[in-house]
Amino acid sequence: MKLFKILAIWCFILCATAGTKSVQAQAKPNAAADQTNVEMADTLRQDGKIYVVVAVLVTVLGGILIYLVSLDRKVSKLEKQLKDEYVNR
Amino acid sequence: MKNNWWKILAALLLVFTVIAGLLTEVPRLAILNETIRNLFFHVPMWFGMIVILLVSVVYSVKYLRNPSIKNDVIAYESAKVGILFGVLGIITGMEWAKFTWGEYWSNDPKQNAAAIGLLLYFAYLVLRSSFAEQQQRARISAVYNIFAFFALIPLLFILPRLTDSLHPGNGGNPGFNSYDLDNRLRLVFYPAVIGWTLLGVWIVNVKSRLELLKQRLYETV
Repeated sequence: MKLFKILAIWCFILCATAGTKSVQAQAKPNAAADQTNVEMADTLRQDGKIYVVVAVLVTVLGGILIYLVSLDRKVSKLEKQLKDEYVNR
Repeated sequence: MKNNWWKILAALLLVFTVIAGLLTEVPRLAILNETIRNLFFHVPMWFGMIVILLVSVVYSVKYLRNPSIKNDVIAYESAKVGILFGVLGIITGMEWAKFTWGEYWSNDPKQNAAAIGLLLYFAYLVLRSSFAEQQQRARISAVYNIFAFFALIPLLFILPRLTDSLHPGNGGNPGFNSYDLDNRLRLVFYPAVIGWTLLGVWIVNVKSRLELLKQRLYETV
């Protein structure tokens, strides 16, 4: 259950940042309406594609954190089982 | 859940560090350019290392006052995680140095001192692994750990400041603080330090519990 709560919080942050990004992108005024300024989904190609790096690093960090959470839960489960064994004997 | 709030805090702070660390406004400085953002990833490794090694020393002292397996295990596991942070710190520092100072290793006093400090802790691992008897191993490595920590502090924080160093805040160089006053860097730097340190404490927590479980298993079998 703990894992799902943490996952949910993590997804919420991702969505929230993605949301603010798109709002910022929309807020920018379109200068001239020539060919190069046709509106496309360019958020991830802006500013030297730095958002791609952000996405990659967040993915790596998220993967490591989820792995650590699952390790933590496995250890907790073992602790519980061992305690149960002590009680049962 | 009640006792694990700090783990969630660590995860949130690290996600914030990565996103804000790459996207926030930073001072525009020659030579450093965008690499100033390494402040959020390289420096917290050393802060984290010091805090985690301090935990290790505290548990070593606790072991000497009250010899229990738990104190020994926590001291050992946190020393190992502290060494991991130190190794990561020295590697990230070399990567950063190559593109700002020109060389991976320019024999900067703080670089050399950090390398010596890490060697002191490698010696801790070697010393520890050379005893077969549990109590002897725990007691002698606890004593050595205390000496290693108090040798590390002057190596990192006092000796480099007595001479010229490429690192900020040493010798004739200004610290980061002098151009850091707009608080833009601090806003991400402090959460980054806390986040990375908590991540290290989390790893120590999981590894110590696993090790204690192992010990209890051997006891019962």
